[in-house]
Amino acid sequence: MSETNEREVLLSVKDVDISFGEGKNVFKAVQDANFDIYKGETFALVGESGSGKTTIGRAILRINELSKGEITFEGKRISGKLSKAEDREVIRNIQMIFQDPAASLNERATIEYCISEGLYNFHLYKDENDRLQKVDKALEEVGLLPEHKSRYPHEFSGGQRQRVGIARALIMEPKLVVADEPISALDVSIRAQVLNLMNKLKNEKSLTYLFIAHDLSVVRFIADRIAVIHLGRIVEIAETEELFAHPMHPYTISLLSAVPMPDPIIEKQREAIVYADATEEKTGPDYAMREITPGHFVYCTPQQVAGYAKIAE
Amino acid sequence: MDEREDSLFEFAEFDEKESEHIAAPRYSYWKSVWRTFFKSKVTVILSLFLIVLIVFALVQPTYSGYDPTVAPNINTPEMKYLPPSAEHLFGTDNIGNEVWDVVWAGARNSIIVSFISTAIIMVVGILVGALWGFSKKMDRWMIEVYNVVSNVPYLLLAMILSYVLGAGLGSLIFVMTCIDWIYVAYFIRTQVMIIRDREYNMASKCLGTKTFTMIVKNILPYLVSVIVTYISREIPGLISYEVFLSYMGLGLGTNYASLGRTISQYKSFMTGYPHLFWIPVLVLAAIAISLYVVGQKLADATDPRTHR
Repeated sequence: MSETNEREVLLSVKDVDISFGEGKNVFKAVQDANFDIYKGETFALVGESGSGKTTIGRAILRINELSKGEITFEGKRISGKLSKAEDREVIRNIQMIFQDPAASLNERATIEYCISEGLYNFHLYKDENDRLQKVDKALEEVGLLPEHKSRYPHEFSGGQRQRVGIARALIMEPKLVVADEPISALDVSIRAQVLNLMNKLKNEKSLTYLFIAHDLSVVRFIADRIAVIHLGRIVEIAETEELFAHPMHPYTISLLSAVPMPDPIIEKQREAIVYADATEEKTGPDYAMREITPGHFVYCTPQQVAGYAKIAE
Repeated sequence: MDEREDSLFEFAEFDEKESEHIAAPRYSYWKSVWRTFFKSKVTVILSLFLIVLIVFALVQPTYSGYDPTVAPNINTPEMKYLPPSAEHLFGTDNIGNEVWDVVWAGARNSIIVSFISTAIIMVVGILVGALWGFSKKMDRWMIEVYNVVSNVPYLLLAMILSYVLGAGLGSLIFVMTCIDWIYVAYFIRTQVMIIRDREYNMASKCLGTKTFTMIVKNILPYLVSVIVTYISREIPGLISYEVFLSYMGLGLGTNYASLGRTISQYKSFMTGYPHLFWIPVLVLAAIAISLYVVGQKLADATDPRTHR
């Protein structure tokens, strides 16, 4: 998107529309989504429930079909119809960490099978011994024990299960990991553990994350860049600190004002700004993603650009 | 804080690995199934009874040498219509045959036919049903096939087929299986559709798992309980159905021993020699009911929610 940025683009989402249903009942879940994810960064997608965050994540994994636009990965198109070989290549390189660790593991399979599943599918091991070693290593990396191999998912705590989910995704050695609210179903006490683990693994394996979340404090902790999505439209994209320092779009401002403060005195004085236009769609032919300051994009009309630029100063 | 007080305390060691350890004993699905199954004494006794009954029915006819095509005592009036006694356990019938031999030979054929038919119905039904539940394309035309087939009058079809194919073990099994598999397939299809879109299946898809592996590893293990329930109804149902078809003259031919035909032949003696009618009926009931009860208990045991 930005010419000044010379980092390598890993994944690019271009003019993507995703809709569900047909004919009269068509529902546009995502409209005109545009963003790039650079290699090695953590790109966060934030928005309220039902804003289309997960839909975009699933579209990247080819679970949801696009009704318009395309998604490219390392310059190659990965949306629409692909050959079998290309499809497998995409699966190999893009993995997902699911929101609910209780629902995303096969309850009737041992942890060994759950983690080996990808290895089996792509035959990523030399022999039985090699496979078991890989599973042991994957378990160790996420802080679990080799003795857990013969256990079943229901014997684990939520945090442990989520780590099994992470191990299962990372054993494929993917380049991009789509983490769909990986900690929102977890107990508060172990959220930090999982986040730190994700950060550690990212550095060790030079991964790229697309981190989908609705918790802004979590996003501020983990993300390098943030895209704010509202009613299926991305309204603002900026680097994390830039976004928190100079939120421009009224929805972002409202969203940030709603973050609770852990200090009771500040919290009492905190005033949540209501996003008045929540119901009416702020859109039209003039609206587009426009770069206000380098790397900071807002969905607006050309007339609004000057106003937003003032905020940046 | 002075040193003396300090020395009373020491740093507790925290082992991160230890905190991950699971203390609960290892879980094994099938071990838990059998433990739950054998916990009830009634079930154990009934299962033993059933095994003895089935083994006896399978073995006895080879030793008795009973052949429905010959009647060695037909010209010995003193051997006819004997009531049950120590010498003739179930008595003898109108042509001087031992009812004991007749009943077990008939039971054997009923059991063989129903077990083989159930095996065919379940294997075909589960395979087709699993694919049917997964494939939206297949669903579109399979549902039409189902609508047509399930509306064919079953008895009429059985009649036509048994006239066309003749009365033999093979053709009876064909008559009994040619329709039933589609009901199993439809049942499995619905079950598959219920769990097909669960998140763990989506996760498997994201890991590149093929449909067939998903059926075997992700779907069928969840359906063990409902499949066992279905089998536990299907086997006794088919035993009764075999008896019914033979009773109607549509089942096995006269050169095969058959419980159904035996009952149909003996029904005219219901008032004069009631043992002739009631003994085969009671043997049939004993087999069918114990199969059903044991099957239901096994179905309960295969449901992990009953595991303690």
